[in-house]
Amino acid sequence: MRFLGLSGKSRLLRAAVLALIMPAVPAGFAGQAGGPIKVVDSLGRTVVLPAKVERIISLEPEITRIIVALGAGERLVGIDFFLRRHDRLFALVFPPSERLPVVSNQGQDLNYEEAIRLRPDILFSSPSEFRMTESIERKMKLPVVALASMGKFRNLLAEIETLGRILGREERAAELVSFFGSRMGSVRGIGPARAEDVGPTVYLSFWGSLLRTPVSYEPVEAAGGKNLASGLLPSYLGTAGATVSLEQILRWDPEVILVQGNYPPAERQVTVEGILLDPRLASVRAVRDGRVHYTFGFWYWWDPALVLVETAYLARLFHPSSFPDFDLTREGDAIFKEFYGAEGLFSALCRVLDCHEWKPE
Amino acid sequence: MSGNRNKRATAAFVLAAVLPVVLLVLSLNIGTYRIPPKAVFTTIAGAVFPGGAASGPSPYADILFRIRLPRLLLALFAGAALAVSGASLQAIFKNPLVFEFSLGISYGAAFGAALSLVFLGRKVPAQAAAFVFAIVAVLAVLFIAGKAASQVVTLLLSGVIVSALFQALLSLVEFFANPYALQSLIFWLMGSLAQADWKDLGVTLPVIGVGVTVLILLRWRMNVLSLGDDEARALGVNIKREKIAVIVLAALTTAAATAVTGVISWVGLIVPHLVRMAVGADNRKVIPLSAAYGASLLLVADDIARGAVSFEIPIGILTSVVGIPFFIVLLKRSGKTWL
Repeated sequence: MRFLGLSGKSRLLRAAVLALIMPAVPAGFAGQAGGPIKVVDSLGRTVVLPAKVERIISLEPEITRIIVALGAGERLVGIDFFLRRHDRLFALVFPPSERLPVVSNQGQDLNYEEAIRLRPDILFSSPSEFRMTESIERKMKLPVVALASMGKFRNLLAEIETLGRILGREERAAELVSFFGSRMGSVRGIGPARAEDVGPTVYLSFWGSLLRTPVSYEPVEAAGGKNLASGLLPSYLGTAGATVSLEQILRWDPEVILVQGNYPPAERQVTVEGILLDPRLASVRAVRDGRVHYTFGFWYWWDPALVLVETAYLARLFHPSSFPDFDLTREGDAIFKEFYGAEGLFSALCRVLDCHEWKPE
Repeated sequence: MSGNRNKRATAAFVLAAVLPVVLLVLSLNIGTYRIPPKAVFTTIAGAVFPGGAASGPSPYADILFRIRLPRLLLALFAGAALAVSGASLQAIFKNPLVFEFSLGISYGAAFGAALSLVFLGRKVPAQAAAFVFAIVAVLAVLFIAGKAASQVVTLLLSGVIVSALFQALLSLVEFFANPYALQSLIFWLMGSLAQADWKDLGVTLPVIGVGVTVLILLRWRMNVLSLGDDEARALGVNIKREKIAVIVLAALTTAAATAVTGVISWVGLIVPHLVRMAVGADNRKVIPLSAAYGASLLLVADDIARGAVSFEIPIGILTSVVGIPFFIVLLKRSGKTWL
C-alpha cells in the first residue's frame, strides 16, 4: 500500500512497527460467544457485560467516536454535552447525533433520571471520573465501563478491539486496527534512516495557552519529531499537560512550534501569527525560521481518524522532502472515508478550522 | 516600649528601602535558562552603557529584558498594589478582615476574564475584560450601598452580595465552557506572572504607579478616617467623599494588577498585618511599608514559582499555601491580637 506518495519501504520495518503499536491481544477482555462478557476497564475494574448490547450511553467522546466508526452509532441513546456543543467534527461524521439526548456535561454529574429513562444496556464513562463511574454503577445497577486511550496509540487500538467485541463488531474493529497500523507504519517508516538524521525538536502549545504543553504526544514521535516536554511531570496527576515558562521555551530553542488548532480561528487564544510576532520569542529557532504551525491536538483524547491524519500531516511538516506530493485534504478525506464511510468529511472539518491554510512550506 | 517600636519602625523603613532592590537583583539571576551572574551584569551594563562593557550574547539580552525584567517589575508593582489596597481598605473600614475580595473586585475580575476566555475569544482580551468587570463590581457595591456607602457594615454586605453574584455568574460560564477554555480559566484563576510582557505593562504599571502613589499620599487622611466618623467630621473631613475616593483608588489599583496576573489571594490581607505587627497601626508607616513588603513578598513567591521546579507553579497557590501558615506562626509567636 502506498501512503502519502511514499514509495515502498522495507516490509520488515513496517511489520516491526506494526508489532510495536498494535496490541497482540485485546488486553482486558475475556468471554465466550453468546455468554456474558468480562472486560477489565482503564481503571482496572472487571465489568461483566451482557452478550448483546443494543442501547448505549457514552460519556467519553473518544469512545463515542469509535462506536460510530465501528458502525454501531445507531445504538447510541445518550451522549455527552461536549460532543453536542464543542466538538466540530462529530456532527459531521454522525449527523443523527443532533437528535441524541445529552445526559451529562464533561465530567459533571450524570442526569440520572434522563439516563434511566433511556434504558441503556451499558454506559461508558471517563476513567478520570472514577468516583462518578462507581456512583453510576451503584445507582443505575448497570454495567459501567471506564475507557479512554489517555493519549496512547496502543490503548487506542486496544480500545477499538475491546469495543468491537462488546458490540459484536470484531471484523470491523480488526479492519480499523489493521488500517490504522498500516498507515501509521508507513509514516514511521520514513523516519530518519541514519542516526545523525534526528527529526526536529518540537514544542507544543496546547489547551489555549502558550505555556501549556503535553508531556507526551505520540503523533509527534510517530512523525519523526522530538517533543521537548516529553518526560516532564504533568501539572495534575492523571493528565498529560504541564505548564512551562517562557525561559524554558527559549532554553529548549525548538526547531518547530506547534499550536493546537482544533478551535475555529475566532476562538483561538494562541495563534501562529501571534507567536511569530511575539518579541519575547524572536530568538527561538522555530520563530526565526518561520516553522510555527497549527496542528490538531487532543480533543477529549482523540478521534481515531483525525489523529492518523494529524500524524501524516506532522510527518510532512518534519520531513518535507519525503512527501513531495502531500495533500492534507486529499489524505484526510481518504482516511475519514475509511473510518466513517462518507466522502469529504475532512474537507468539511477543514472549512470550520481553516486547515486549508495549514499547508506546509 | 515606644522607643522599641520607633527603633523597629526605623529598621523596617531601612529594610523596606533595600529589600525590593536586593531581591530584584537576585531575581534577575534566577530562572530556568541559566545565565552566569557575570553575564547578567555585562548584559545589563551593555544595555545601559552601550559604548561601555560588552553585552552578553543575544539570548541573554532577550531573556533578561524581554522575559525576566517585565515579569519581575510586574511582581513588584502587583505586590505593592495588592498590599497597599488591602492596607488602605482596612484603614478606612477600621476592619482588619477587609481586602480586595471584600468589595467584589476579585470575583468581578474573574468573571470578566471568564467571559473573554470562554465566549469572546481574542476580540476582547482577558486583561481588558477583567479590569472592566472589577470596576463594574466596585461600582455595583457602591450603588447597592447607596447613601450608606460610608457605613462599614452596609458596604461590606454589598460586597458580599456582589461577590456572590459574580461567583455564581463565573460558575455559569465555567459550566458552559469547553474543557480547554475551562483549563485556561482555571489557570488564570490560580494567578501567574508568566505571561508578563512590555505591552501589558505599558498600561498596567502607570495605573498601579499612580494608584499606589496617591494612596501613599493619602496616608495621613487614612489616620483621620480610622479615628471614627464623629472625630473625623470634627476635624472637617468629608467622610463619604474621602472613603469613596480611597475605595475607587484601591479598586483601580487592584483591578489593574489582577487583570494581568489573575487572582492572587491573601497578599492584601497578610502583608498589612505583618507590617502592623512590626510598627503598629499608624497608617503613615503602614501604607508605604506595605507597598515595599508586598512587592518583596510577591517577588520571592514568583522566584519560587518559576525556579523551584521545571514547570511553573501558579503563584496564587504559593501565596496561599506558604503565606497563610507563615502568617499563623507569626501571629501565634507575637501573642498579639488582630490589629
